[in-house]
Amino acid sequence: MIKSLDPRITRAEIDLENPIDPLKELDQWETYEVFHQKRRGDQHMHVGIVHAPNAEMAFIFAKEQYGRRGLSVNIWVVKTRDVYSSEYDDSDIFETVPEKQYREAGGYKVMEKINKYKKGV
Amino acid sequence: MNTQAIKELLYKMADDLLIIGHRNSEWTGLGPILEEDISFSSMAQDKIGQSQAIFQLLNDLGEQEPDTVAFMRGAAQFHNARFLELPNGEYDFSLVRHFLFDHADQLRFEALANSSYEPLAKVAKKVKGELKYHVFHANTWLVKLGQANENSHNRMQAALNQAWNYALGMFEESAHEDALITEGIFEGELALRDKWLATITPIILKAGLQIPASNEWQPIYGGRICQHTEHLSPLVEEMSEVFRYDPTAEW
Amino acid sequence: MYGNAYIDPNDKAAQMIAGEDPQKLAEFEARIAKGEKIEPKDWMPKEYRKQLVRMIEQHAHSEIIGALPEGTWITRAPGFKRKLALMAKVQDEVGHAQLLYSAAETLGKSREAMINDLITGKSKYSNVFNYPAFTWADACIIAWLIDAGAIINQVANAKGSYGPYCRALDRICTEESFHLKYGHDNVVTLATGTPKQREMVQAALTRWWPPIMHFFGPSDKISNHTEILMRWKVKMASNDDMRQQFLNMYVPKIWDLGLTLPDPNLKKNAEGKWEYTEPDWDEFKRVVNGDGPCNAERLAVRRNAEERGRWVREALNTTESKYIVPLA
Repeated sequence: MIKSLDPRITRAEIDLENPIDPLKELDQWETYEVFHQKRRGDQHMHVGIVHAPNAEMAFIFAKEQYGRRGLSVNIWVVKTRDVYSSEYDDSDIFETVPEKQYREAGGYKVMEKINKYKKGV
Repeated sequence: MNTQAIKELLYKMADDLLIIGHRNSEWTGLGPILEEDISFSSMAQDKIGQSQAIFQLLNDLGEQEPDTVAFMRGAAQFHNARFLELPNGEYDFSLVRHFLFDHADQLRFEALANSSYEPLAKVAKKVKGELKYHVFHANTWLVKLGQANENSHNRMQAALNQAWNYALGMFEESAHEDALITEGIFEGELALRDKWLATITPIILKAGLQIPASNEWQPIYGGRICQHTEHLSPLVEEMSEVFRYDPTAEW
Repeated sequence: MYGNAYIDPNDKAAQMIAGEDPQKLAEFEARIAKGEKIEPKDWMPKEYRKQLVRMIEQHAHSEIIGALPEGTWITRAPGFKRKLALMAKVQDEVGHAQLLYSAAETLGKSREAMINDLITGKSKYSNVFNYPAFTWADACIIAWLIDAGAIINQVANAKGSYGPYCRALDRICTEESFHLKYGHDNVVTLATGTPKQREMVQAALTRWWPPIMHFFGPSDKISNHTEILMRWKVKMASNDDMRQQFLNMYVPKIWDLGLTLPDPNLKKNAEGKWEYTEPDWDEFKRVVNGDGPCNAERLAVRRNAEERGRWVREALNTTESKYIVPLA
């Protein structure tokens, strides 16, 4: 039995030689992705994961791990396996030819025409 | 206002919170999984913080500083329910105690939010959110483990059986019960106990667990009049070991 | 709280990149050179993955084991303020372990596998936690100086190349700043307190100085291996540089309090470099390899905690659960 400087450890009556079976797969449960909202009006931000056996506990764990300091008004948790994510290898999918001024504010320059018209009048 | 009655009420609340907070903090770093370790520690901190707030009210009524009162008394001067000084045991007992105590605690503070003793009503309103979380945590765990598998069900049921009479002991009446009720300070232990039973019964049933048969109910009293189990004295000595190493010092 | 990953100086640099697709490797290195982060699903050299897993995992283990020496005093902290603060600090260490295991998981090693490697002694953790916290003052010295050392290391590593590790470290560093303040406040209180308190804190400091000097590890051997790890922004600063930075920031603060350090050769030389008696690296290696004052206890306690919690975890493990590697 361990005689520890830590009274909690001494009380637990732990054998120094205490081999245990290895933790099995899923021993630590699956993971949930956590989205945290600081204030009303803010976006929910992804802040990390928790391991949890169900959504309620994932919420409890997320609240304490990611919200115990500072502001929080809302938390979402979603199973990691339910998130569809794109591949970084495919990030060229976000590239697009630059000739798309027709959908940018800067693509519309009316002052030229107006000034020309005013001169003409 | 009956100051004596108020002080007694405050002492038992402060001691309850200090002792359960202390016990629950023993799990920090040793919990069943990292995430729960963190969640449980937060609640232990909340309890100790609430205890400090109540000791501050006592200080305002002329008692000594919170640190002095909490760390310099002997076990025979503590007013906590015996239930709370029992060792943590395994996580089943710790969770069941957390469930039974925190519901009582929440209902007590809820009632005190309307207390005619305003300083206490103010504290009660302030801790509302913390208690809501504690009870949500307790309910979730009880309901899940109560019916998860045979082992967890049996463990939770055994812990509930073991805890029950001690838990009833939380509602030990004080000599000032009438004064507290007539002066609108607190609704009294019996009223609180009724509310508590009505609140926890459906949750225990939902967890697939059973409350021990009422003819077996034998509340374990004594804590409120400073009569404790053999477990409190070592707890108090341990808690105050450093503080007493040099009582003249600021730590 | 963590020093630095132990990197085997005998690893051959050639083996590190052998068999890697040269074009992908070039793109990977170019991305890092540009200051971009690597994300979990990116292509990465096998050796990059391996070193990061080892490093983040050791860091995570250090946090959860690090909760034990300070936890030694959790039931005895003197007064409400200290009691609450120590509870919060040890809780933070557990929280850091959670964040770091999560970061390591994104590289494909499950938390179960990491915990198994910890409790069987296969995987290391920071050596300092194999020393005991004899008194309350030891816990205060740990909170101040070990956390101070950890911050130096973590701030450097937070500028590394692996996204999930950097994000975890940013969060951890914020919390560590509370630890550092808390620790300093405690040590100052003891050092400026009663004679008994002062004696207590001086004794603790004397005990902890050798492990503190060990904290950042032995001087790095300059090799191709370390050069590559620095190029890949896995290793962000040399052990000696971090030790110098630590001494420069904290020795004056310690001396300010009139405390003494058990090294007669400790001084800042004309070039502004700190000189000190070379730490006993044989002891360091002995303790790393299991023969320290608390190694056996620390691991036995972790095994016990895992075992006591097993029924809880098993009960809630539903058949439809399915583990997949976290995204970020």
